[in-house]
Amino acid sequence: MLLGLLRDRGALLMAFVLPVIFFVIMAEIFTATSGANLDLTVVVLDEIKSDVSTRLVAALEKDDSITLRAAGDTDSEALRALVRSGSADIGLILRSDAEPLDEAGGFGPAPLLVVSDPSRGFVEPVLMGRLRRAYFSALPDVAMGNVVAELENQFLTLTDEQRDELAAGLSEMRADAEAGREVGWSFEDLIAHERVAGGETVNLVAYSAGAVAFLFLLFAAVHGAVSLLEESESGVLDRILAGPGGIGVLVDGKFLYVAVQGFVQVSVIFVIAWLFYSVDLPSRFFPWLIVTAAASLSAAGLAMLLVAACRTRRQAQTVANTVILIISAIGGSMVPRIFMPDLLKNLGWLTPNTWALEAYSGILWRGEGLGGVILPVALLLSSGLIGWYVARLLAERRVSRY
Amino acid sequence: MVYKHHLTPLPHTVTEFDKKDALLSLARIRKTLGGQVVLDGVDALVGAGEIVVLLGPNGAGKTTLLGTACGRIAPDSGSVTVCGGDPRLRPEIRRHLGFVPQGLALYPYLSVKENLQTFGRMMGVTKHDLPWRIDQALERGALAELADRRVETLSGGMRRRLNIVASLLHDPKLLLLDEPTVGVDVNARKRIHELLRQLRAKGIGILITTHDLEQAASLADRVVFLSAGRVRLQGAPRELIQHCYGRGRELIVTLGQQADIEQSKALTERGLTALHGGLAWIGAVDGSYTDAAGWTQDLDAAGLSVREIRVREPDLEGVFLRVTGEELHL
Repeated sequence: MLLGLLRDRGALLMAFVLPVIFFVIMAEIFTATSGANLDLTVVVLDEIKSDVSTRLVAALEKDDSITLRAAGDTDSEALRALVRSGSADIGLILRSDAEPLDEAGGFGPAPLLVVSDPSRGFVEPVLMGRLRRAYFSALPDVAMGNVVAELENQFLTLTDEQRDELAAGLSEMRADAEAGREVGWSFEDLIAHERVAGGETVNLVAYSAGAVAFLFLLFAAVHGAVSLLEESESGVLDRILAGPGGIGVLVDGKFLYVAVQGFVQVSVIFVIAWLFYSVDLPSRFFPWLIVTAAASLSAAGLAMLLVAACRTRRQAQTVANTVILIISAIGGSMVPRIFMPDLLKNLGWLTPNTWALEAYSGILWRGEGLGGVILPVALLLSSGLIGWYVARLLAERRVSRY
Repeated sequence: MVYKHHLTPLPHTVTEFDKKDALLSLARIRKTLGGQVVLDGVDALVGAGEIVVLLGPNGAGKTTLLGTACGRIAPDSGSVTVCGGDPRLRPEIRRHLGFVPQGLALYPYLSVKENLQTFGRMMGVTKHDLPWRIDQALERGALAELADRRVETLSGGMRRRLNIVASLLHDPKLLLLDEPTVGVDVNARKRIHELLRQLRAKGIGILITTHDLEQAASLADRVVFLSAGRVRLQGAPRELIQHCYGRGRELIVTLGQQADIEQSKALTERGLTALHGGLAWIGAVDGSYTDAAGWTQDLDAAGLSVREIRVREPDLEGVFLRVTGEELHL
């Protein structure tokens, strides 16, 4: 079987190259959309063109996660068209016909107008956060000046001496901000961050590695197991059955081969994930080894069962492809389970894909040991062994009916 | 006058065989598949250094009988004995068996040698013995120079030879072949026949199923005629012909158009059997040809449009036809 695989370039491509390409595509998608690295294209129209507005736009420009596109000479309608067409993710207009940016008091139109497309709803809160950070870090003097103006307006009256001191303080604040030094206070100072395990980027790549690996594991396992029917059709099976081994030995041999091939296949994908996408494989090597062995056995058992239940190669390919696509869709190999409704999430627990994904997520994402993923690992192992045993019974029954 | 002497029922087995010497003994084998009787009380024996050819039309039960002999198919009743044991109940007995399937049961991506290695291991040949067994198989099949060629690049005849020697790696005492020369040219068939004769000379017992009467006549020590799951006749080809035709010859009458009911009745009364849907009739005549003129007159009198009357040396096809009333080439 191994030599047959090595010399069948199509099968080799399907088993080892296609899964890697598929995984790299999925990993790139997940990496790009994981939030931390989201790269927004913002089209900006600065109608004010004051010192303050220029400083705010410059601060936004410094933000690595934002690609600013100046609207140039275009008017606000042209900016809206750019957002509507998707050329820009979102638009920002610094309006001249509104409250001044450094004296905002809520009495007239707001000076900053955010233009967004509802189909990209997640973009607006992201820009709001970036805008808030830019406002407080680049224009602390303006922010503080607005607060003082509001205080004076509502609660107290400053003396001339206090006003002078305030003006000097605000100038110092601006100088510090322009020099890149920490300035007074910011909203970020109120927040501390804690992550229970891993980083968001690694999470989704680890997920996609498990998802892609198990999907292709099933396809490759069926491809290997189908050789049982090819051997039946060519007469090889008759030759072997006339010998002392019998069909049981043949099914056992194929089951083991398919499981080992699957193990190698999954390893290739996880090595790529480790080398190029920072999935921490070495520190989780032992549990990964056990989960991968269980997943390979499960896929091999299922493939042998599907093939043994079919009469012809064509029938086996059709049935197996259908079953694999359905359980992979429900089980989370195609769409992450976190995006699924509860019904599908629960149904997923009937599929080996979900067991494999839960096991990989447990050890690589949530940082659990084998004890934490004992249920999915046990399900994978037992499904593989049951599949193999039933396949053996079916094959023995089939040949005895010749 | 038609030579009627041998139209009386023939003995079931022409040549008696000592069952004690048999490598394969099939006794009263009965098998039903899907409600249809496929084998109906079949008896057959194969001895050491003997080639037995199983002849019969499609659906006669030949392949089922081979599967039963291998121990792969369980008979409903009757007994199968290979080298003293039941191959179905005792897997170790199957070490004495080699089976050559009708299809080319080879791995096309592998070379000749790799195929032999694979099948050798599957048949339980030890690592120590495998290299020389492979060399022996390559030599037997005249494939030594092709050892490293991939099977997919070989000719049909080469593949057929490899198909046979791949079943000899574990040195079986009994070799079962299902249509071993299907689809090969005359030269390739000759080489396969040579190979089978060599194996017979080594003392291997061989059972072959075939449609090929020439092959049967040329190779067989004994032929077994199987029809509708029953053995109709078995014995050495010459003996069977002798029993069926005596000193007579085979007469074949070819008609210009099909005989009507009355004409068919007249032909049957004269001891002829219809062939090819009634356009040809076959029978036996005295080898002295004394009645040739009377034949022509009788056929003319019956109003038959005769295109040709031939008299020839009888062969196995005629024997089969006369015994079973069935044509062999279906």
